[in-house]
This record gives sequence, C-alpha cells and structure tokens, in this order.
Amino acid sequence: MKTKSNLYRKESYYGYLFVLAPVLGFLLFTLYPLLYSLYGSFTDWDGLGRMDFIGLANFKEIFMDEQFHKASFNTLFMMIGIPIEIVLALLLALGLNRKMFGTTTFRVVYYIPVISSLAAISILWQWAYNGDYGLVNQFLALFGIEGPNWLTDKYTVKPALIIMMVWKNLGYSMLLYLAALQSVPKDYYEAASLDGANGFQIFKHITFPMVKPVTFFIVVTKIIGGAQIFTEINIMTSTGGPEYSSASVVFYVWQKAFGNLQMGYASAMAMLLGIFIFVVTLVQFKMNERSSRDLE
Amino acid sequence: MEKKKGLLSVFALMMAVVVMLSACGGKEEAGNEGGTNGKTESQQLTFMFRGGPEEQKAYQATVKKFEADNPGVKVKIITTTPDQYATKLKAAITGKSVPDVFYFDPGDLRAYVNGGVLKDITEYMNDVNFDNIWKYGVDIYRYDGETVGQGSIYGLPKDVGPFSLGYNKTMFEAAGIPLPDKDKPYTWDEFIKVNQQLTKDNNGDGKIDQYGTGFNVNWALQAFVWSNGADWLDETNKKVTIDDPKFAEALQYFADMQNVYKITPSIEDAATLDTYQRWMKGELAFFPVGPWDLATYETLPFDYDLIPYPAGSTGKSATFVGSLGIGVSNNSKSPELAAKLVTYLTASPEGQQQLVDAKVQIPNLIDMAQTWAANSATKPANKKEFLDIVQDYGKPMPNTLTYNAEWYQLFFTDIQPVLDGKMTAADYVKSQQPKMQSLLDKAIEQEAKSKK
Repeated sequence: MKTKSNLYRKESYYGYLFVLAPVLGFLLFTLYPLLYSLYGSFTDWDGLGRMDFIGLANFKEIFMDEQFHKASFNTLFMMIGIPIEIVLALLLALGLNRKMFGTTTFRVVYYIPVISSLAAISILWQWAYNGDYGLVNQFLALFGIEGPNWLTDKYTVKPALIIMMVWKNLGYSMLLYLAALQSVPKDYYEAASLDGANGFQIFKHITFPMVKPVTFFIVVTKIIGGAQIFTEINIMTSTGGPEYSSASVVFYVWQKAFGNLQMGYASAMAMLLGIFIFVVTLVQFKMNERSSRDLE
Repeated sequence: MEKKKGLLSVFALMMAVVVMLSACGGKEEAGNEGGTNGKTESQQLTFMFRGGPEEQKAYQATVKKFEADNPGVKVKIITTTPDQYATKLKAAITGKSVPDVFYFDPGDLRAYVNGGVLKDITEYMNDVNFDNIWKYGVDIYRYDGETVGQGSIYGLPKDVGPFSLGYNKTMFEAAGIPLPDKDKPYTWDEFIKVNQQLTKDNNGDGKIDQYGTGFNVNWALQAFVWSNGADWLDETNKKVTIDDPKFAEALQYFADMQNVYKITPSIEDAATLDTYQRWMKGELAFFPVGPWDLATYETLPFDYDLIPYPAGSTGKSATFVGSLGIGVSNNSKSPELAAKLVTYLTASPEGQQQLVDAKVQIPNLIDMAQTWAANSATKPANKKEFLDIVQDYGKPMPNTLTYNAEWYQLFFTDIQPVLDGKMTAADYVKSQQPKMQSLLDKAIEQEAKSKK
C-alpha cells in the first residue's frame, strides 16, 4: 500500500473529480426521479399533489387491464421490425462494401432518414399512408393493387408503422455493419478463398462471426428502444389507433399520466416496463457471454 | 487504508456539493420572494398558452398592449403548439412551477381546484360586467366544491367555440336546389335527400367528384346524438347512457351516411384532413365551421353560410360549444396582477377588440359580439348562428363533465368497425357501455379521493 506515490494519489483524486459531474447528473436526473417514480407506483398519485400509499393495488389492476394487455402486445408485435431491419442492414452493408460505382451516394441516401427528425418523418409518412391520395397507395395503384387505408385499419396499422421504422433506422444499422465489415482482416478472406471456400461459406464462417459483436449491440439497443416506442405512434395515430391497435406501453403510460390524472398507475406501468427491459437485456448479455466463449 | 481514505474524501466532497446545490435552490426561492414583495414598481408574470401561429401572434400583441397599459409589468410568455400544451402544463404542475396565468381545459377544472393548482379569483372580478359576458362561458369555470356551474370563479373563458354547420352556397345554386333555411333545420331524412342530390360526378369521368358531406365522428356525432334525445351521460353525470336505443339510432344514422347512403368520400376514411381539404376545394356541400376557421375560410373559392345541424327525433338541432379557460396559479406571487391579465384578455373591450380584429375568435362580450354578427360585409352572412349556439342550444362536450375523460376516449377508440359498417351501432353500444361505465366509476372514485 505504502508503495503508491503521492503523484499517483493526486492523479486519482483528480480522476474522481472528473467522474463527479456525470455521477452527480445521474443522481439528480436519473436516480432521484427513478426512486420517486418507484415510490409513486405504490400510491394513487394524481400528478397534482395528493399521494396516498395504496400498496400493490396499481400492479394488481394492471394485470387485469385490457388496454395494458393490448398495448403490451402491440409493443412486442412491433419489435418484429428488429430482425427485418438487421437482415436488410447487413445485406445492404455487404452490397455497399463492394468496390462499385456510386456507393457513397447510396450510403448517403440510406443515412438521410436517420438524421431527419422523427416527428417530421412521422408526419410525412402519415400523409404517405393516407388511404385516398397517399403516395403508398398511388404507388400500389400502378400495379393495379388497391391499397388499404393503412392507419385506420387495425390490421394494417402495425405493419405500416413497422415499415416506416425499418426505413427510418436502416441506415444507422447499415453504417455500424459497414464499419464492422471494414475491420475484418483481409487475410482471413484470402486464406479462405485459397482453401476453396465459396461465398456462402465465407459469409457463414468468417463475415457473420466477425460482425457478431455489432449484431449483439444492435439487438440490445433496438429492443431497449423498441420497448419505449412512442413518438411515431403519438403523431401518426394520436388516439392509439383503431381499437387501440397501435398504442404502445409508453403511449398508454403517457395517456394515463398526462391525460387522465393517474400518475401513480402510470408509474407502476413504467416500473414494469423498466423491469422487462432490464431482464431482457440481462438475458441477452448472459447469452452473449456464453456464445462468445463457445467461439473461442 | 490510503485508498479508502481517498474514496471517503471524494464521497464527502460529493455530499458537500449536493448540500451546496440544494442550499442554492433554497436561497434562490427566498430571494425571489423578497424581490416581489420588496419592490412593487417592476413585477413579472408568466403566461403560458397555446394556439396556432395566427393565434399566438394575436395573443402576444394583446399581452404587449397589457404591458403598455400597466407600466412596470413584464409578462413572460411561454407558448406551445396545441397538442403539446397539456403535457407541458402537467409537467409544470408536477414540477411545482406553474405559470402565474395559464390556459386550462374546462374538463380539468375540478382536478385543478381540488389539487390546489387553480386560484379562486372571484375577489378580483369586481370590475367585470358579467351581464355582458356569455353566461355559458363563465359558468363552466365556476365550482363550489361539489358542482360545476355555481360558486367561485376559477377562470374566465379565453373564448367560446360554437361548432356550427356550414354549407356551400355556390354548389347549391349550381345544382338548382333551394338553399337550406337558417331558421328551420332539415330533418334527418331531408338531410340525406339533399346530400344524395349533391353527391355526383360533375366532369363525367365516371368517378364521383362532389359529395354531400364528410363528418369526423369525434366532433360531429354529438350533434346527431343530442338532437335525437340521447346523451353519453345521465343528468347526474355518473351513468353512461350510450345503451339507449335513441343513441344507437343516431350512431347508426351517422355510420349509414357513409355505408348506406354513400354521401361521403371514401368509405374507409374518417380523418378530417381529407374532408376538410375537400370542403375547402369546394367538393363538399356541408361541413362543420368553428369561429377559429373564419380567417382561413375567407379565401374559400365559393360562397358559404351557416345553418343549424339537421334535427333528429326531438325536432331540435344541437351541437357543442368548446371553450378553454384562463386561470391563475394558486402559487402566484402576485395574484391580483395575474387576475388583471386574465380579465384584460377575456373581458375588457380593449383586449377583446384586438383579438377579434385578428379574426381568431368570436367576442366574449355580448354587445361586441352582436355588432360583429350584424356586420354583413364579412362572411359568413349568418354569423348569428354562432351566437344562437352559445346562448340557446349549445352544450359542453361530455368529457368535460367528468373528473377525467378516459371513459369517453374509449368510446372513440373502438368505434371504427361501426363506421366501417362491420358492426351495428346497437351491438356496439351494448358491448361498450359496461367498459365505459367501469372507467367512469374509477373517475368518480378518483374525484371523491381528490376532495379529501
């Protein structure tokens, strides 16, 4: 212990000082609201002031709440977009990783939706999905298909939202994959092709395992983000869609908390959502740990 | 040992910073209080409101005038778009930083009074001549702890919004159909017949390009339900009464306009965007008109006027009157001044004139409104219909009569199959009533708790 120099001690002291700012930020803006909301979830808080402890009553009610069931189902359903997006993003990245004419242009084209404001995009797509004169149905009409009224039909509203979200986020995942692909050492491919491996084998045994950490990162962040989906739903289907068919959990939380004076109940739902995200992420990390050990 | 000590001192430092920060917060508050009590010559108010771009401009200009008339007063304005307002206000309330003066929905009146958010401003109302303001508009902001409509005043109406019905006069004349009578509403059957006559293909391409109407269920169903003698709630506002056969009849009639009589644009679409734009292009014969539309409708490529809504079995036409209140925060440091701003905006000739000139609302002051309605130089000619709605036959929206609106939202959440003709109105109201009732029961329970 005594061997540590003064300099070393001083340095670590400054180190802690630097760490202090984000830690304080976390305490004030994350942990404090989180604990407050945790307490709120055991009360009948109306968001105006009154706050009486009612134990687990909120949670009991949530499990019987038809609208919560619908909202949870919708939220999970809309996560179908995640595997679709990952497959498309990887294919695109593989394509754009080749030496061909105009790759930069395509990269820009796919990345523009990512940097655009989600609210603006939601409004644009709302028009595009309009049943009477929306772009989507005009396009379908070229092939003689009469498109549905996407956002007011309970069977098409979720697919419509999924398509939009995949389009919006594709560029981001693609960019991550591109970076990952470019960092795969070239000699692996050379060795494989010398050994006579075909394209599919190279993809299966080299490319895919090499980009696995990126896939993992995308899956984790997408599930966390997907569980919290709100903005596009609030804008495109401001009442939660026909028969509540597009409402997400966060949308329902927002309605309860800011529309119907049930902050306590909303906090309880937010807690359940938080636990769900935490558990799913934990399982993923465990699985990833195990499979990366297998790889070695 | 050494290392541990290092950590400990860091922790101590952190605690010190936290304590310092909270001390700062406390000090700041104290400072503010001293400031407003000490020097009265410069006072500051915050005013939070919402509105479209035109409305925001008009209100900002009026507030400027208030500042000019009250030297030393500075009003800090916070504006939001209409759809963000409720969230922002609720966040401000939860964070205990409610603006001195703010808009609120009449449906939130009881919650805000019981929750100690709104201030009773009755004592500051001595200068206001209540005989010259729409009684309807003031009464919905009175509350005695039990019933809305009587007792202390917790706000004044920003405006009243009668939701009237307009018709395309040019279209009627082109079709050679007698114009609707502004004093005698159509019966439901007559209304369908006129609409059928006007739904047609004008350019001969085999596609219909002119329709009777296209109502949005959220805003227009009330007129049909009420004029058929039904309602969402009973008189006590404690029971959901949509399972009344008269209610089902009205809802069925509403849905049949699309599915059976085919007098509206596409079957699937009830979104206003379409029908609103079709109306403005002159493709619809009938469409709702609110005072907030007047500025936009000045440039319509056709002549239009107002009539009462078609009357159902009661023989009387009906519609709703919207409103938005302006109230004062219970925690305001200068409530008297805040109340003065409220009355300036809502009940003073100077303030009202400025807002009316900007064409964003009808006057709150009855004499001013009558002069305004009598002016035949501006469209629509029958502006008096607006005043009749406010004075005689307009009603508040059902969702503003209860502690929260959850039960009412559920009615519209699940309604699409009825509008699409996939479910009968009778079946719908029967299956939906118990679900809505249980939400209303919860709202009643919540209200009872909030009074404690």
